[in-house]
Amino acid sequence: MPDNWGFVLAAYGLAAVVLVAYWRRLVRRERALPGQSSRSTARRP
Amino acid sequence: MRVVGGVTLVALAAGLVMAFGVAPREMTQGNVQRIMYLHVPSVWVAYLAFAVVLVASIVYLARGLEGADRLAHASAEVGVLFTGLTIATGSIWGKPTWGIWWTWDARLTSVSILFVMYLGYLLLRGMIEDPDQGARYAAVVGIVAAFNIPLVHFSVYWWRTLHQPPSLMKPGPGTMPGVIVAALMVNFVAFSLLYVYFVAKRVRLLRRESEAAA
Amino acid sequence: MVWKDLLVERRSKETLNALFFFALLLLFVFQFAVGPDRERLAGTLPGLLWLGFILTGLLGLGRTFVVERENDCWEALRLAPGDKSAIYVGKLAGNLLLMLVVEAILVALFGIFFNLDLAGVLPALAVVIGLGTVAFAAVGTLFAAMTSQVRARELLFPVLLLPVQAPVLLATVKATEAVLLGEPLGSVAHWLKLLAAADVIFVAVGVLTFDFVLEG
Repeated sequence: MPDNWGFVLAAYGLAAVVLVAYWRRLVRRERALPGQSSRSTARRP
Repeated sequence: MRVVGGVTLVALAAGLVMAFGVAPREMTQGNVQRIMYLHVPSVWVAYLAFAVVLVASIVYLARGLEGADRLAHASAEVGVLFTGLTIATGSIWGKPTWGIWWTWDARLTSVSILFVMYLGYLLLRGMIEDPDQGARYAAVVGIVAAFNIPLVHFSVYWWRTLHQPPSLMKPGPGTMPGVIVAALMVNFVAFSLLYVYFVAKRVRLLRRESEAAA
Repeated sequence: MVWKDLLVERRSKETLNALFFFALLLLFVFQFAVGPDRERLAGTLPGLLWLGFILTGLLGLGRTFVVERENDCWEALRLAPGDKSAIYVGKLAGNLLLMLVVEAILVALFGIFFNLDLAGVLPALAVVIGLGTVAFAAVGTLFAAMTSQVRARELLFPVLLLPVQAPVLLATVKATEAVLLGEPLGSVAHWLKLLAAADVIFVAVGVLTFDFVLEG
């Protein structure tokens, strides 16, 4: 049975793209909020 | 937040190592079976997400806590995300394995119904202007959808097994060797951490958005 | 509550005519879509029947609370004394009655147009239809209340209702299939139990959450 690495790559690649895109969307929307641009990375969680 | 994010990344990396480095090449399907380490944790996380939606919805209706509503909203969104991923990876896995992009087997069918139900939940939220009303209505839908899940499972399972030959059921390892289970578990933990991270971030965004609008 | 029921009854008679004509039209469409091939028709009949029920149900239920919203009776419902879930039960009963009448007509029309011998299977069919319709009406009434004030309600109502109805639809079609073949109800006991469970669950959720729906 052939290994079909192409499909494996497609699946993992798709997952990576989708998850990263969602993460970036969240980050972008948070930065767009008023009062966010002045906040630095040194924020308490 | 950054700590959680960092830990999540480490866990995801560990998951990948397990999936590709440690887990063995499956006998009948070849390496394409490794998609399972992506597909199965995705669906587990989706169910986790919707269980959280149920609890948060009930809490919101019972107590009126806005935090509960934000949690429900965020969890539903992340849940739909992982459900979509489950369907997509299931389909990609299915093509080389069964030769077809889609089949109405028990898992894919159930997950599709799940997907559409909670997509409707998000649609409802988008369509109601009054935030309080939207929160309440969404909570009701979240509760109905969650109680529907066992009904979906039984009906689809009976539909597929009582009249169809078992060869149509999703092929998977019958009794799984320990290594595969271990790899699965590591990936499940990694994905769960990713879920927590996403939901936390989403809730924070919701809270800040409502503060900004106030 | 009697007043509520009467209100529901009066409106039902207006919608009944329209739904009857819609059901008739559906029959024509089904005939043209599947009719010519006798073999295929026999296999799809249970599905077509329930498709008919659902399409007419969507139309009928979708408008359940629209009259109240349009005529500003919503506030009156909200402020009415007593248990709000009684309103839900009243609406549910009215909707159930409406749907059962339409379904009875559809079954009769199906029997006539597709030359079915329904005499022996009628009681069993009635049980299946009854169980399935309760589930549909229970969730439908609840969702109709929620979507009645959304602008795109004709779109949102089916989008919300249909996925939730998927397992119920599976169960009813499978059970109807068996019943129409003359098999005893016992052979599809698991489907019937699922339908009964769905009925209980959905009505319970409806009763418990209607208060929150009515607030808005």
